[in-house]
Amino acid sequence: MTDLATTHPDAAELRTMSDAIANPALADDAPLVVLRQPSWVRRQLSIGGPPLVMLCVLLGVYWFFHNRLSHNRKFLMPWFGDIWSKGLTDSKTIRELWGGLQVTGRLAFQGLAISIVLGGLIGIAMFRFRWLERANYPFLVALQAVPVLAIVPLIQVAFGYGYTPKTIVCVIISFFPIPTTLLLGLRSVDQGMVNLFRLQGASWFTTLRKLALPNAMPTLFAGLRISSGLSVIGAIVGELFVRGGTDGLGSLLVEYRIDVHYEKMYAALIWCSLLSIVVYIFFTALGNRLFRSWHESGDLSR
Amino acid sequence: MQTMDRLTDPAPNTTALSFHDIRMVYSDGTEAIRSVTLDIAPGELVSIVGPSGCGKSTLLKLASGLEQPTSGSLSVDRDSVGYVFQDATLLPWRTVRRNVELLLELHGVAKEERRQIGQAQIDLVGLTGFEEYYPKRLSGGMKMRVSLARALTRSPNVFLFDEPFGALDEINRERLQDELLNIFLGERFAGLFITHSILEAVFLSTRVLVMSARPGRIAAEFDVPFPFPRQHDVRYTPEFAELTGRVSAALRACS
Repeated sequence: MTDLATTHPDAAELRTMSDAIANPALADDAPLVVLRQPSWVRRQLSIGGPPLVMLCVLLGVYWFFHNRLSHNRKFLMPWFGDIWSKGLTDSKTIRELWGGLQVTGRLAFQGLAISIVLGGLIGIAMFRFRWLERANYPFLVALQAVPVLAIVPLIQVAFGYGYTPKTIVCVIISFFPIPTTLLLGLRSVDQGMVNLFRLQGASWFTTLRKLALPNAMPTLFAGLRISSGLSVIGAIVGELFVRGGTDGLGSLLVEYRIDVHYEKMYAALIWCSLLSIVVYIFFTALGNRLFRSWHESGDLSR
Repeated sequence: MQTMDRLTDPAPNTTALSFHDIRMVYSDGTEAIRSVTLDIAPGELVSIVGPSGCGKSTLLKLASGLEQPTSGSLSVDRDSVGYVFQDATLLPWRTVRRNVELLLELHGVAKEERRQIGQAQIDLVGLTGFEEYYPKRLSGGMKMRVSLARALTRSPNVFLFDEPFGALDEINRERLQDELLNIFLGERFAGLFITHSILEAVFLSTRVLVMSARPGRIAAEFDVPFPFPRQHDVRYTPEFAELTGRVSAALRACS
């Protein structure tokens, strides 16, 4: 015990603790030591540790396959150092990717905005008229199930090349969660509350505004979180398959592959993921902030 | 005759709520109520006890206009009905204050007046200081108080209670019963109180009705002689025990 107490970096604390146990007269200090909160480093590790371990596993898998590639195919999975120096930290690539990020970000944002407005209106209309729900639902599911790639040529025939068809692809991909979660939230109003409003002779619109919509907000936000991520994917997919217009991250991905700049392509992939993650975190944080005071979902940390 | 003219001066012998030969058959063919006749005067608090599913709650739905009777006639001033549900039915995204002000808001009362009336009712049910709390942070008893305060903002002449204290623990339940009686003494509304608890029915009411199993009819009627204001320990007197015993026997006989 003495050896440990003198050599260990936390020696002072250990001594206090052992003293406190040995000598109850010193017990005044003892609770401070015994009930000490885990250190800042330890707390950060417990939050950041698991994702870090996962990252290492994924890098290990990448390294494993990198090693198995024959020498003349190694370019398909470049070494980490090359991705770092030629992709992630190369100033020309950064400029290109930063420009691409802005283009893709704007496209995703626009697609999401259209999805929210259109999906919101359709959700409310389906809530108002049950026959409309029955009429629309199969098509919403179909829209979700159709492989977008298969209809890209159709979209191009109709809307040509450029910004509009990309936006449409983005809307198709990100649309589905909005009307469905909104409708679910609107329908899940407690019947007692509906009766309360009915007894006051409240109109349908008042009931919607003061009861059904606020009630649907947390559910809608869960959908919005999914939709926001999908809108980024939608924007990139749109850029991958609809050529023309300004270069976004999706177009850069294609260009780098064609030019056999795989280091840059991996860098672009990483930028795409970061964009998705940032959007997801933004909507999660916004939801927590809005609903923390009254809804259970607001209590979840991420 | 569906509604009573609210402008007529309520003479002592008028009824605030009256059912005449009411029958209620739901669209699925269930006969919930068969021939109920009942008059409640202002200043009367009438309790109904009965077995589960005997149509007690249906009576309240009919009185409030949430349901229409199959036959019979009903007279009540619908604009002046307060309804306290089994659950507190508070809107979770509104604070206590905004929940209490909800009914006034739906009736277009101006903000200043809303605030004033709301605050008075919040004080009355003993929630002063909790105005900015969200329902999530309130106990069951406090939620029920908010619900009561909300109904009181419209100062109803007829008050309908659908087992409001059923989900509360014994201590809270007794406390809220005491407070309800205080409010009743102050406001002198006509009350119709549905409950599972014979003790609650006898303690609160001027009259206790026993309803039979479905289809519901009024099987027995008891006047409660204890004078107001009732002290909480009236519950433990021999007279109280004797009366609850008789109500209990009537309930057993018909269920």
